[in-house]
Parts: sequence; C-alpha cells; structure tokens
Amino acid sequence: MILAAAMDRDALRGADDVIVRLRRGDPDALTAMISRYQHRLYRYFLRLVREPAAADDLFQQTWLRVMEKIGRYDAQRNFESWLFSVAHNLAIDFWRTRHEISLDEGGDSGAAPGAGLRAGDPDALERLLDFERGAQLAASMHQLPAIHREVLTLRFEEDMKLEDIAEVAGIPLSTVKSRLRRALEGLRAAMGGRLSGRRRQ
Amino acid sequence: MSEHESMQALFALAAAGVLDAGEQRRLDEHARRCPECRRQLEIWSAYAEGLRQLPQPAVPAQLVERTRARVWQERAAAAGRRWDEWMLGILALFAWTVGLTFWFVLRIFTGGALVVMGANLVRFGTYSAVSTALVWLTAAVAALALGRRRRELRRSL
Repeated sequence: MILAAAMDRDALRGADDVIVRLRRGDPDALTAMISRYQHRLYRYFLRLVREPAAADDLFQQTWLRVMEKIGRYDAQRNFESWLFSVAHNLAIDFWRTRHEISLDEGGDSGAAPGAGLRAGDPDALERLLDFERGAQLAASMHQLPAIHREVLTLRFEEDMKLEDIAEVAGIPLSTVKSRLRRALEGLRAAMGGRLSGRRRQ
Repeated sequence: MSEHESMQALFALAAAGVLDAGEQRRLDEHARRCPECRRQLEIWSAYAEGLRQLPQPAVPAQLVERTRARVWQERAAAAGRRWDEWMLGILALFAWTVGLTFWFVLRIFTGGALVVMGANLVRFGTYSAVSTALVWLTAAVAALALGRRRRELRRSL
C-alpha cells in the first residue's frame, strides 16, 4: 500500500514535470502527452460525435487548444479534468457548427428514451457479460442524447468522480447526478426494449 | 411513497457508485430484506459492468504523429504572424522617427524654405501630408505582401 502510494506520487510528479515542459513548448513533452491520452480522448470524442473522421479532427484540435491555453492552466487543477473540459467545449462547438442539437440541450428535462419500459429480465445479467452484449450495449448507448453518452463515458470508461465530471461539463454536481441517473435509465430502457422484442420471437 | 418505491430511484446511482454514505446504507439495509430489490441491483450492476467493458475503438493510424505535426505547423504559422506584426510596428516607428529627423535636417539645410511647384515642402503641414501619403502607400504594399504570404501559409497547412 505504501509502495503504491509512493508510486502514485512519483507518477504525479512525472505528470507535473511533463506539464512544465509542455508549457515551455517542449516537442517531446507534447508527444508524451498526446500518446498518453490518445486512447481515452479519442474514445471520448467517438462516443460523443459517433463519426471517426470528426473524432480524429476534434482530437487534433484539442491539442492545438491545449498548446494555446497551457500557459493559463492552473497547476492546482486536475490536468485530466482540464483536458476533458477543453475537449467538451470543442465538442459543443462541433455540434453548433453542424447546426444540430447542442450538447447541452435536450435529454435532461424530458423523459429518457423508452422510459416506462422495465428491463427486469433475470437473464440479462448473464447475457450482459459476453462480448455480443457489450456491442449491443454500445449500440444502445448510441441512441442516447449526447449529454447522456458523455456522462456515461466519463463515469464508467474514464472512471471520473462526480466532481470531475461537473468540472468537465461545466454543470452543478446535482445535475451530473440526475443526468447520470437518466442516462442509465435510458440505456436500460433501450436495452430492455430490444430484449423484450427478442423474447417475442 | 413506500420505502420499497423510494429505493427504485437509487438503483441506477448505486450501480454508478455515486450514492452518498447515507443513501448507500439505506439501500443496503432495504436490499437485505427485499429479494426484488436485490435482483434489481444485480441487473443494474451488470449494466455498470457492461459499460466498463464496452468494446474499445481503435485509434486511427498515426494519430499521434499527425496531431504533433499539425500542432507544430500551426505554432510556426502563429509565430510567423506575431513576427510580422512586430516587424510592422517597428517599421512604422522607424519610419516616423526617420521622417521627423529628416524634417529637422531639411529645415536646417534649406533655411526653412524649399518651394516645389508653389508649395513649401519644409512647412510642417505640407511635409506631414506628403510624408503621411508616402507612409500609407508603403503600408498598403506591405499589407498586400503579408496577406499573400498568409494565404499561402494557410493553404500549406
């Protein structure tokens, strides 16, 4: 445990060092940071915008923005939350330029898609564990509004705390909680509808 | 609302692991006595587990290299723009200083009168008008040249 804590401290110190070098415009530090976050940041964008080409472009834009703003980054803040809040703002710009629904609109006030459906299938537990169910879950997630997909990916894939999600999305903690609940209920309803459809076959 | 009904609202957040200590305790106590809620919690846990194990997308080829190259290209372009702006400022200041110095020198050498086509060029008003026109002409040519360079840079990015 002590060893793990010491390793965490070392990792944090290492991350701080890379950020200091990034501020100085060190190309190696930039490469290290892009490599470190490539999977997570790309996945975040892909879950949100659902288009590989757009996710690719937004990923690149994020690092352009990071290099523009890194001088103003407050080292007291969690770097990951800051990075994802930069990404969140770019995703909002993306939706706006596409003249589609804003990332911040819809989904919070209305009922979740398929609300009212109950997915009380006891077999769901077993079936959820296999890969096919994972793909179904991902497909159902795609049906949710962008703001719901965002909280789900930040909570379950990024393993972020509620406070960090609130910082990324720029919303109060209570909204994160209610959004997360609606997102999960919406997801279960979407999955439940499919399950009941299968049972009828 | 019965305790059983009030617990339903907590299932999803329990699966997400974001209930506060008090809510979690209430839910645990209720679930110990209620088989239906225990079953629901298991299903919700399966959803949470499924979300943690979603199929992972593959990162596009050379994403890191392409991103790094784009960042440095944009930074070089921005540095070029800053340099141009500085240079324009310095040139304007230099032109103004040279113009003023030249006016003083000209006044000394001509004794305050240099008449060309009926106008005294050394008079402050005339000299200012002529030199300002020349400076604006030079600035317009420089701006055109810079604009062309920026367009070329943008095309190359």
